[in-house]
Formats: sequence, structure tokens, C-alpha cells
Amino acid sequence: MLEVSRLTTRYGAISALRDAGLRVGSGEVVGLIGPNGAGKTTLLGSIAGLLSPAAGSVTFEGTDITGSSPEKLLRLGVALVPEHRRIFGDLTVEENLKIGGITQSREERAELLDEMGEQFPVLREKRTVAAGYLSGGESQQLAIARALMSKPRLLMMDEPSLGLAPVLVNVVFELIETLRNQGRTLLVVEQNATRMLEVADRAYVLRSGEIVAEGTGAELRERPDLFDTFVGGNGQ
Amino acid sequence: MTELLQNLIDGLGRGSIYALLALGVAVIFGVMHLLNFAHGELITVSGYVAFWTISEGWSWYLVTPVIIGTAIVTSLVIERVAFSRVRGSSDFTLLLTSFGVHFVVSAIFLLYVSASVKTFSEPGWVANTFPVGSLNIEVYDAVVIGVTLVTLLATSWLIQRTMFGLALRAAAADFDTARLMGVRSDTVIRGAFALSGLLAGIAGVFWLMRSGHTTPTVGITPMLKGVLAALIGGLGSLRGAVLGGIVLGLAEVLLRSRLPDSVASLTEGFVFLMIALLFIFRPQGLIRVAHAERV
Amino acid sequence: MAEPRGPNAAHAGMFPNLRRDVAFPIVGVGLLFGVFVAVGLLYQNSFGGAGERLVTTAMINAIIVLGIQIYVGNTGVLSFGHIGFGAIAGYTFAIFAIAPAEKIKRIPDAPLGLTDVDMGSWGAVGVAIAVTVVVAVFVGIGLARSGAESGAVAATVITLALLFVTHEVARHWPELTGGERAGLSFRIGGKLDTRVPIYLALAGALVLARLFAQSRRGRLAKAGREDDLAARAMGVNPMVQQMIALLTSVAVVSVGASLKVYETGSLLPEDFFFFFTLLTLTMLIVGGRNSVTGALFGVAVITVGRELARRMGQDGFEVFGLGLDSEPLDWIFRENLQTVFLGVAMLGFMIWRPKGLLSDWEFDDWLYRRFTRTQSAPPVPQATMSDENEARLEVSNVSVVFGGFQALSQSGFEVSSGEVVGIIGPNGAGKTTMLNVITGLVPATSGQVRLNGKELIGTPSHEVARAGLVRTFQNLRLFGSLTVRENVEVTRLVAIAEHDDRSTPETDVLVAAAGLWDHRDRRASELDYGNSRRLELARAAAARPLFLLLDEPTSGMSDTESLAMVEQVQTMAALVGAGVVVIDHDLDFIIGICDRIYCLDRGSVIASGTPVEIQADPAVQAAYLGSSAS
Repeated sequence: MLEVSRLTTRYGAISALRDAGLRVGSGEVVGLIGPNGAGKTTLLGSIAGLLSPAAGSVTFEGTDITGSSPEKLLRLGVALVPEHRRIFGDLTVEENLKIGGITQSREERAELLDEMGEQFPVLREKRTVAAGYLSGGESQQLAIARALMSKPRLLMMDEPSLGLAPVLVNVVFELIETLRNQGRTLLVVEQNATRMLEVADRAYVLRSGEIVAEGTGAELRERPDLFDTFVGGNGQ
Repeated sequence: MTELLQNLIDGLGRGSIYALLALGVAVIFGVMHLLNFAHGELITVSGYVAFWTISEGWSWYLVTPVIIGTAIVTSLVIERVAFSRVRGSSDFTLLLTSFGVHFVVSAIFLLYVSASVKTFSEPGWVANTFPVGSLNIEVYDAVVIGVTLVTLLATSWLIQRTMFGLALRAAAADFDTARLMGVRSDTVIRGAFALSGLLAGIAGVFWLMRSGHTTPTVGITPMLKGVLAALIGGLGSLRGAVLGGIVLGLAEVLLRSRLPDSVASLTEGFVFLMIALLFIFRPQGLIRVAHAERV
Repeated sequence: MAEPRGPNAAHAGMFPNLRRDVAFPIVGVGLLFGVFVAVGLLYQNSFGGAGERLVTTAMINAIIVLGIQIYVGNTGVLSFGHIGFGAIAGYTFAIFAIAPAEKIKRIPDAPLGLTDVDMGSWGAVGVAIAVTVVVAVFVGIGLARSGAESGAVAATVITLALLFVTHEVARHWPELTGGERAGLSFRIGGKLDTRVPIYLALAGALVLARLFAQSRRGRLAKAGREDDLAARAMGVNPMVQQMIALLTSVAVVSVGASLKVYETGSLLPEDFFFFFTLLTLTMLIVGGRNSVTGALFGVAVITVGRELARRMGQDGFEVFGLGLDSEPLDWIFRENLQTVFLGVAMLGFMIWRPKGLLSDWEFDDWLYRRFTRTQSAPPVPQATMSDENEARLEVSNVSVVFGGFQALSQSGFEVSSGEVVGIIGPNGAGKTTMLNVITGLVPATSGQVRLNGKELIGTPSHEVARAGLVRTFQNLRLFGSLTVRENVEVTRLVAIAEHDDRSTPETDVLVAAAGLWDHRDRRASELDYGNSRRLELARAAAARPLFLLLDEPTSGMSDTESLAMVEQVQTMAALVGAGVVVIDHDLDFIIGICDRIYCLDRGSVIASGTPVEIQADPAVQAAYLGSSAS
């Protein structure tokens, strides 16, 4: 479904991502894990069109989408839940959701709103509240629901558990499982590797801008060097 | 008391026009962080269209929609020709680009029309007044205040209730995220320029009705008023822009009537001075817009 | 290289390097002046009277443009108001310079008995400078309050408002200014008999503009231009630098404006308004606003271009002597073509080359590089200095809440000089927030930050830096268009002013110690990730801090680079005698360098101890990998 090959992205003279390649099949949940500054967000941003890659290609369902604008990608069916959620704090919860569904017809948008209301009761409850007043967990739910409003075929999430209390981290991972059970295709960047590997079908490990390992959740969990890779060790 | 009331109404009339101009400036600032020093050119172009059509014998009722249409089209053309090329540039570049647009437009009129003042007849009712109690209200002021009120309500509806308005607000809050949600940057920015042109067009009709003339540099004063009002209100805040416009209009009228005759002609100077003082004591303007910087 | 404060250090406060910052600029600017004047004289000899006027005007414009460059170029704040200052100076000059017998005709009732003042031209220039500078002080305070920084929009509008205030006053105060139509005029001269004052003023403006840019003040101002926040974190207060740049700049503009009035022989409000603002700004932008050479070049280019446009407007294509039938092109070649030319030039440059033709290239800098034999071997850092004074930083019970989100709760740590303390923790744990609180960038909801017992909460960033806490930035905030050396030099200048009693290592020593010797003359923005990080380190160390606060110094580095960084941090810290607080996610690096480590998770300290203890701590492992049990 999504095929990324030899992607390189630079900030000025700095390569934040080098020759990264990955593949996401339809209905798969794929994790992208790695330490701070490894280039995970850069990779997602380059796929989603927020950053322009210097080299390499991104293909979605056979179409070359390298360097396409995010608004075009969304219309093709690729949605991103950005890091730090980036909800519109001054807009109400419902308005946030409507923005998510801007590509849908009026009727479909109303239907989707109802659907989201069912799936996320707390959002229905607080629908007229300015989104800036939501708690961390609620705003993460809103960010995901907002992305789902575009009926994406591929949903990418950037650090959905970032800055959340443990209980809420559970909520987020339960949500990822629910989405998986709904048959959605997910590409999730996470720092909480243990939890991510539990829910992911496969995962890639990114370090210093390069992909250093790939495998199923079970395979990677068995890797003894994973902890070290994460916190920067060389397995000493 | 009567005098004060009279001043308030005059000031409200003047402030209404400023509010429309400031709102147009604020809408564009919101979506592309551009303080548009070329905003007055919409009125310059409209002024010449008014001059040509009225000298052809058109009535103001016909000229009004033409002026508004002209302002919208001009706004879109300027966006296309100049501002679309500097999207995302530094503020320094954006500011000077709009400054350059101002000069190119006014120089084109200077070059191809003339530097001299072109006058046209104002509608007959502009100078009429009607009494309310002990007050003498100008028909013009009443119309301006009424139309502005309706325009602001309609704009508020557009911004609060439509998908376009929602997209505009989202883009103003966080452009990148809005694009991630599928908001088309072209649509939003051009929409903002069209809206800004519409508001300037309405303000322009009133402005030209009153002044009855145009010159290549006729746009400078309304531009300045709009920009200052937007700044007084707090850049980036739409409500602040409207408030800033009204405050500026009231301040001008009240000052002019209160200052001794010998210095009354310096009203504008005093108003600028007050604005400077406002900035010293309240640098963010009347309405503060939340602004965070990640370190 | 612990050099004692000697004769060399005395001037170091003003100019870091006399040869580079004074001698070469004066020579370079002298040559530029010579070329500019020579071309002018050649032109006027071939065109006679009209040519003479053109050249004189160009020189006066150059003085004013150079004046504007001092402010706009060094601070990055776009000012539309300098022509307003010009108006103030021009009117002041005229009112004081015109003989009472003349004034009686235009402004018989001028306030304060100004009608009878008879001062002569030289005195009048002095008064004009004084009055304008006083006004500039107030405008400067307003600019500072509005949060002026590079490209600040509000600041630009304030300067625009100034332009309009002066214009309004000039138009509507006829008792003083002669008003809108009549204006002021005077017969003394009408035209200068000699161009000597103009030559002197132009040469002076060139020297002043160049020396200002090279001086300590100018360098600090440029740091603020490049990155306001980073400048503050290095101990620079950009507001002070901006004010000094503004006053210097306004003084030069005043001289130019006085000359302009004198040369023209009359003064109307329109003379110092929108068109002149457009003209001078276009000259500045086209040449390159960050360069004195560029400003002068821009004056030449625009003067020539405008003159061509004017002639084409008058005579059509004939001006090229091509004898083409110009009729089909008549629609272009009209009078006033020059205004279109200026507007289009400004627009075109903003769209296609916003930095101007020369960007920040300086002629004398080029000369200096060409004629100075560069030291090929990097200087070796000699005796490392250890601070006799034991310093101690205590951070306790710090809490920070952002709109309902608890970024830090009751967290703290302690560090003494000579120590290296690490703060680790997963993304979003609050590590950077901790540094932001300490350096005064983020207000703490509660808690204390004490340096040697002195409370620092509530102290502005630049004072925190001067007190001895200097940081680096996770997302790299270098002074991008300055060179590697200049980046280090700026903070070193702050340190020299602050620590008279202690010696500060030479710039080159710091650059070499950071492993940047081969890149010393490259722009910071051209460095790769690793070198950028090393420069952040060297720049912070140059401030001679008591403690270096490093935010992810190895982020984005390869393993080998990270390991090398251990040594670099240690060398740097030892070189300036600073303790170190380092945030990082790279455990190898942290273990390799730290004496003690604190681990943060979700805003709280969950563990602290020696590297060995931390490595074995189950809470730390859980925080990093995420525990399924939680």
C-alpha cells in the first residue's frame, strides 16, 4: 500500500534522514520506533508532504506521491496525526472534527461526526467545548478522531502516547488495537517501544536517521540489544 | 452631552469604515503573516473605476457593486502576481513586498492616468442630515453604520458558521496542521484575499462617496488607518481589528472636537502619538493573541 | 592561552581585532569612496550641469542610505521611519540655518522665537542631530517595548507611524514649517558652492557604518538580528544594542538630511515622505541591506537605473542612441517611469533576490582575507584553567504548568563546579523545560533556582547568562549568517565585558578546541549537524559560564561523533573552568561523561545516582522502553 524507498531529507546541510525505506501493507499495523532525534518525525513528515525529501521516492497504492502537498495526500487517503496532537485549541471539539472532514460532503461529514461521537463518547459530551480545554488523553482522542474524519486508507500517527499519564497511555494503545481490529492500516511512530511492539504487526527501528532493524513485533522483542539501541548503547 | 453624543455617532461612522479596512488587513495577516501595506491600493483602483463609470453617467447604485467587484478582483490579482510568490518568506520580505506593490500600483496610475486629482460627483444624499432629538445625524453616517453592522454580522457568520470560515480559522491558528487536515492552502489564502477585497470594497464605496475624488496615492490614508486599527486591536485578532477600527474612529473625532482650534489640524499627529503610547504600555494591542515559541 | 589584561585587552572592548575591524575597513571604505567619487566626477564631466546635480544628489542619498543601513542592517528591523527622522532633521536644520531676514517672509510667527534665531549652517546641523537623536530615544523605547526583533511587524508599523506623524506635523503646522505648499526656502547658497562638506560627510558615514558593524556593539546587535532568543541566552540584551544602532543611524541620517535641504535650497513636507522612503529603501535592498558595500552599490545602481528610466520616460528609446522608432513603445516610455522602476525593482528583488545583489559581502572583508596570511595550524589550548571559586547551582521543587499540562512537577537537581551532571528521560519528560526555566525563558509556576545562593527565578535571560549559566539549544539556534569564528567571538565579547578579572580564551583557541578549525570562516548555516552542535558548544563556552547547560549535544550525531563529543565537552568545560549540566538521550554519551545522572519522567525525577546505579534502575528502564505493567 505504502512503499518508501531510499528517502533522504535534509534541513539545510543537515541530513536528518538517510536512505530510509519501508513498506506498509493493506490492513497492517506498522510501528516505527527509535530514540529521540532518530528522524522518526522527519520520516513521517516527508511521507505526509510537510517536508520535501532531497532524494528517494514514496509510492502510495501505485501512485508516486513524493513531494506532494499534504492537502493532496489527504485526498488520496493518507492522513497524519501530528506530534503533540496539534489540535486547534480555540476551535470547539466539533469544529476540530469538521475540519478533519473538510474533504467530505456535508452529508458524509454529518454521518462521520455521529460515528466519531459513538466511538469517542467523551468527544460527543464535550462537543461545544473549546478544544484547548481538553485533557491530554481527550485531546489525543480528538486528534485521532479528527484524522479519521477524512476516511483515510492509511493513518499515520506521530508519538500518540507522548506526554500522557500511564493510564492514558493504555487508553491510546487500546485505541490503536481497536483501529487495528477495524481493519485500518496504521503507521505509528512511538517511543514506547514495548507497548508498540505488542500491538504492531511489524516494526522498523530508526536510529541516527537510518533504519537499523526490521521485523515482526515478536522478533524485535526477542532482540537483546533493543534496550541498548534505544538508549544509545552499542550493546556493551 | 449633546455634543458628546454627536461626536460618538460621527466617530462610530468613521470607525465603522476603519473597522472594515482593519478586518481585511487582519484576515490576511492571520493566514499568511503578511501586514498588507498594499491594502489601500484596492481603494485606489476602485477610485478610478468610480471616476470612469460616474463620468460615463452611471448612478451610484450601479457603481457600488462595480466598485466592490473591482476591489475583490484587484485583491486576487495582487495575490496572484506578487504575494503568492513570497508565501512563507521572512516578515521582512513580506513587508517590503507589500510596500513595493503599493508603489507599483500607484505608479501605474501616475503613469497612465495622471497625477492630478480626478473628481466625481457624490450621491446627493451624502450631506443630508436628519434630526433625532437634539442630534443631527447624517444620512451618510447612518448608512455607514448600518451597512457595516450588516457586513460584520455576515462576515461573522461566514467565519463562524461555514466550512470556509472554519478552514480560515484553522489555517490562521496552525497552517501546517490545517493542510494536514486537507485544507487547501490556495483556497484559504485566495479566499482570505477575496474576503479582504470585499471588505475593502465596501469601505471603499463609503470612502469615495464622501471624498468624491481619487488620485494615484488616495489609498495611503485608508491603508494606514486599516493597518493601525488592526495593530491597535492586536494583530491576528479579528475582533480586535473591528474594535481597533472603532476606537481609532472615535479617538479621531473626539480629539478633533476637543483640541483647541490652533492645533486641531494636527489631530492625526496626536492620534499617532497616542498609538505610540499605547504600544509602549500595551505592546500586544488591546486583544492579546496567544503566541508560543518552541525552544 | 591565559593572556593577562594588557594593552591588547584595553581596546578589546570596542573592537575585537584592530587590523581586521579598524584598519582594513578604513582602507576598504576609502577605496570604495574613491571609486564612487571618481565615477561621479567622470559622469558629471560628460553631462555638465544636470550631471553635476545628479552626482551631488546621489552622494547625499548615499549618506542617508548608509545611515539607514546602520540600523536596518545590524538589527534586521525594517524601518520606514528613517525618512521621518530625516524630516525632523531637515526642518530643524532649515529653521536654525535660515537667516531671520528670510524667515520673516515665510514663518514670521514661529513659536519659541525661532524666527529670530540666527545660527549659521554648521550650528544648525548640530542642533538637527541633537533634536533628532532625542526624538529617536523615545521612538527607540517604543520599539523596544513592542518587542522589536529582526523582521518584527509591530516595530515596522511604529516606524511607519513616525513617518506619518512628522509628515502631518510638517503639513499642518505652517507657523513652524511653512506648511504644505509654501514650505521653507532659503537663498544662502541654494546650492553648495563647494562639495567638500558632502565628501566629508559621505566618507564619515562610510567609515562610521563599517566601524559600527565591526565594533563590539555592532556584533552584539547582529547576534540579536540572527536570533533574538539565542542572543539573550548568551548574555546579549538586544534592546540595548538596537537603541545604540538606532541613535547612531539617526545621527548619520540627520547629517544627510541637512545636506539635502541645504543643497535643494527649499523644503516641503513631500520631500521627506513616501517617495523618498521608497527610493532609499530600494537602494538599500537592491545592494544588500546587511552590507555597507552593498548599500553604496545599491545607491549607484538605483541612481543609474532611475536616471535611465527618467530619460527613457522623456525621450523614449533614443537614449540608447539606437535611433529605433520608439512609437510602438510609447506606452512604456512615459514620464514618471522612474517610480514604476523603483516599485518594480523593490518587488523583483523581494521575490527573486531578497538579500540583494551583494548580500552581506564587504569589500574590506574580502581584502582582509586576501592579504592576511591565515594561520594554518590550529592553536593548541594551553594551561586549562580551573576556577578557584567553588560555584553551586541548586534547582529545587520546580513546577511548570502549561495550560493544564504539568510539564514539570516538584523537580530539581544540584551541581557543583568541576562536576558533570546528566539529565535523561524519554521525550516529553520535561528535560528541555527544565533548562528553559533555569535560563529564564519559561516562567516557573513554583520552585527555586539558586546560583551560589542567589535566586535566579524571574531574572531576564541575558542576566542569567551573565550570572554564569549559558546554554545550548536542542534545535540549534546559531547565528546563521555569521561565520563560525564570529559566532564564538560574539559571546566572547560579552564575557570580556563581564569578567574583567578573569581571562577568557582566545576565539581561535575555542574554535580549535571544538574541532571546528577547518570550518572557522564558514557561515554557521552551512555547517552540518555535528559541526553545528560543536559550534553551539563552543559559542556557549566562550561566554565563560560557571555552568554550561547542554541540551542534547549529540542529537542527530553518529555513534563515533557522539563518543568524540565526550572529549570535546570535557575539553571545553576545562578550558573555561565550567561545570556541566547535560541533557541527552544517548546513554553511552551520558555514561561516558557524567559524574551523576538524574532521570526525569513525566515531569518528575524518578531516579538519581551514579551512571552505574542509573543503568541498573528498573524505573529508568521502564521509562525508556515503556513498561507494559504500568
